Amino acid sequence: MIVADQAGPSPPLRLCLWCLAAGAVELALYLSYRGHDARFHWFTHLFVGASTALVVMTAVTLRTRRPLPYPLVWPVLGHLFAMTPDLAFSGGVAHQRWMDVFLGHVSSHFVPGRNVTWYAVFLASLALYLAAVDRSGQR
Amino acid sequence: MGASLTPEATAPARRRLLAVWLAAAVGFAALLAVARASESGLDDPDPAQQRPGFLDAGALPQPAPGLTDALPWSGRRAIAFFVRPDSVEDLCRSLSDDRPLEGADIAVVVSGPGECEGVTTVADPAARLARAYGLRRPRSGDAPVGYAVVDGHGQIRYRTLDPSVADHLGEVRTILRATP
Repeated sequence: MIVADQAGPSPPLRLCLWCLAAGAVELALYLSYRGHDARFHWFTHLFVGASTALVVMTAVTLRTRRPLPYPLVWPVLGHLFAMTPDLAFSGGVAHQRWMDVFLGHVSSHFVPGRNVTWYAVFLASLALYLAAVDRSGQR
Repeated sequence: MGASLTPEATAPARRRLLAVWLAAAVGFAALLAVARASESGLDDPDPAQQRPGFLDAGALPQPAPGLTDALPWSGRRAIAFFVRPDSVEDLCRSLSDDRPLEGADIAVVVSGPGECEGVTTVADPAARLARAYGLRRPRSGDAPVGYAVVDGHGQIRYRTLDPSVADHLGEVRTILRATP
């Protein structure tokens, strides 16, 4: 049973609240890509943004020797950054090549293997970060 | 310096981390599979090619073949919608609702019988025009549903399959706005 202490929710419960918050944001983003064929774009930018965030998180974790607080926030922020041109598109601004500054927003769709490749990159980045967390826990 | 944890103490934590990784691997694999399974026969076999959102993808720009004797008209932008007979009505209703695409000549190319009142309609039963405009073959292999945008110099600047194009005229307007 999870019991909240006087200072607030216990760590497992806090983690779960952040899980829910991050999940809710991602669900909202997913729904914002109206039309089934736009889901492809959601996956690409999620994987690219989250992978970038995880690599940064790994570096910070190894440097500070502590896991980052609220680890689900960073992948969501990475996703939001990667999909910024899609927010502009919703406002009537077509994509342009320079928008690749947003984590390869335009060209990331065209890598060989498409989203399966980015899925593999994401899992590798996640493994890297979890290994860093594991290492920091052994010190 | 902190004391190192014993192997017995780190094992549960390591198992938890492994569980997180496995959950992500299985969860996202399932989501990808569901998304792929929900694609229709009208979708592009390569989703990256569908609704890319930017001009001059791939081999574009390319000269636009004539849709009629008068279209594309030199100096005017044009949009060619490629639809099937069963989707003409939806598209025509959307086009007539609020005239969302002013500033461009519009042609509706139908791969069978169908008429769009007030809009130039071209019959293309063999999908010859669709091929000439370089529209990709959908997964079903039948006539494509989508559109192409032609600039004022008669060059195709954008083309895509879009099975729900009647619901995406705002997106077409965005592409048109970016087209010189």
